[in-house]
Amino acid sequence: MVCKQCQELLSEYIDGALELGEQVNIERHLCDCEPCRAVRDDLLQIVHFSQQLPMQAPSTALWPRISSDLAELTPGFWSRPLRWLVSFRTLNFNFSVPQLVGAAAALAIVISIGVIVSRRDSGPVQLLAGPAPSANSDVKPLSQTDLQQLEKQITQLSVAVEQRKESWDPELRTAFERNLLYIDQSLVECRHHLNDNPSDGVSQELMLNAYREKVRLLEGFEKF
Amino acid sequence: MGSSHHSSEVMAYITTTLTMPVTGERIQPASDLELARAAAAGDSAAFEKLYEQHHRRVYSLCLRMLGNGTHAEDLTQEVFLQVYKKIGSFRGDSAFTTWLHRLTVNQVLMHFRRRGVKLEHTSEEGDFTNVVETPLQSTRRISMVDELALEKAISQLPPGYRTVFVLHDVEGYEHEEISSLLGVSIGTSKSQLHKGRMRLRELLTKR
Repeated sequence: MVCKQCQELLSEYIDGALELGEQVNIERHLCDCEPCRAVRDDLLQIVHFSQQLPMQAPSTALWPRISSDLAELTPGFWSRPLRWLVSFRTLNFNFSVPQLVGAAAALAIVISIGVIVSRRDSGPVQLLAGPAPSANSDVKPLSQTDLQQLEKQITQLSVAVEQRKESWDPELRTAFERNLLYIDQSLVECRHHLNDNPSDGVSQELMLNAYREKVRLLEGFEKF
Repeated sequence: MGSSHHSSEVMAYITTTLTMPVTGERIQPASDLELARAAAAGDSAAFEKLYEQHHRRVYSLCLRMLGNGTHAEDLTQEVFLQVYKKIGSFRGDSAFTTWLHRLTVNQVLMHFRRRGVKLEHTSEEGDFTNVVETPLQSTRRISMVDELALEKAISQLPPGYRTVFVLHDVEGYEHEEISSLLGVSIGTSKSQLHKGRMRLRELLTKR
């Protein structure tokens, strides 16, 4: 596979919409191609942040315009008294597997980003699990070899998971893909921080944890 | 392997490997249904309450699909007039937000049709063929604080790309739904989305 072919399929790849063969080919190509990995990471960022865009508010003059139009449409509508007080029912709550998985992954991302931001703003912080890395942290830096080994392991597991995927029901597939996407987004965050500051012990540890989490996820879902 | 079996194993996996808070989704905002019924019965205060609760969402959707604040306000106004006219037909079979969202998307698409906006931008084909040669500054990070830049970049997309991108990546529509809404093939929807994302990447890296 060449870069152009890879990049044409990247959107479908990050959306988890490719067939097994294409996905494996892309993952193999990504392992060896830094520019294509950069494009993938950028697209992941765009998708991730687009899902979190806040709502915007129109000007306060809009409601008077609308109510004026409504008054013209239905004279008297706006002067009617309340005929009864609107009652509110107790809110119902329900949980589904994808929601729970998504919530867990979202929490992990928020914690990761929070830790990184806090560390950047106010120096070393205590991680939720394990000792706090500091300026003279003894966290072993991630070597390129370590990363390549992890990525190879992940590629192998991905192939195995893909073979299992066909027998999954849609809910399980969605849960898996959403969780995988969140972990990949965490990895992208870590890569960006390490690009800015390669010796950042916190980011290194978070990245290592994200890789391990991905391996655990793949190993876990490989059994289904 | 059945669905329930899968679900229980997934739950076990989640419980043993991840620590998470219990969070929930409000299935049916009861207040919306009650307010809609009250508004349909002539209660102006209930309609105003519905506006207060939902105008930001409607405006945001219009703004992102149109890329222009003034037009977005005009269209938000049209949407709520339509809500007023049609609220009697809302029976609560789906969430009010879903009903309102569909109504808003349809209003935007009607607006495009009235103005002759072409959703297919064939002239944009292949505009990003050189992405491979883009230097690694392309990994420049879109951080949380850059959401303004992302909003601006979305507003600069051609209408065809922007419509599909907003519906899919911002609003969470599937390609099948987009294809049905826009009257295009699923392949076209996927293609427009990819081109939109790549164009956004270009716009954001050129900043």
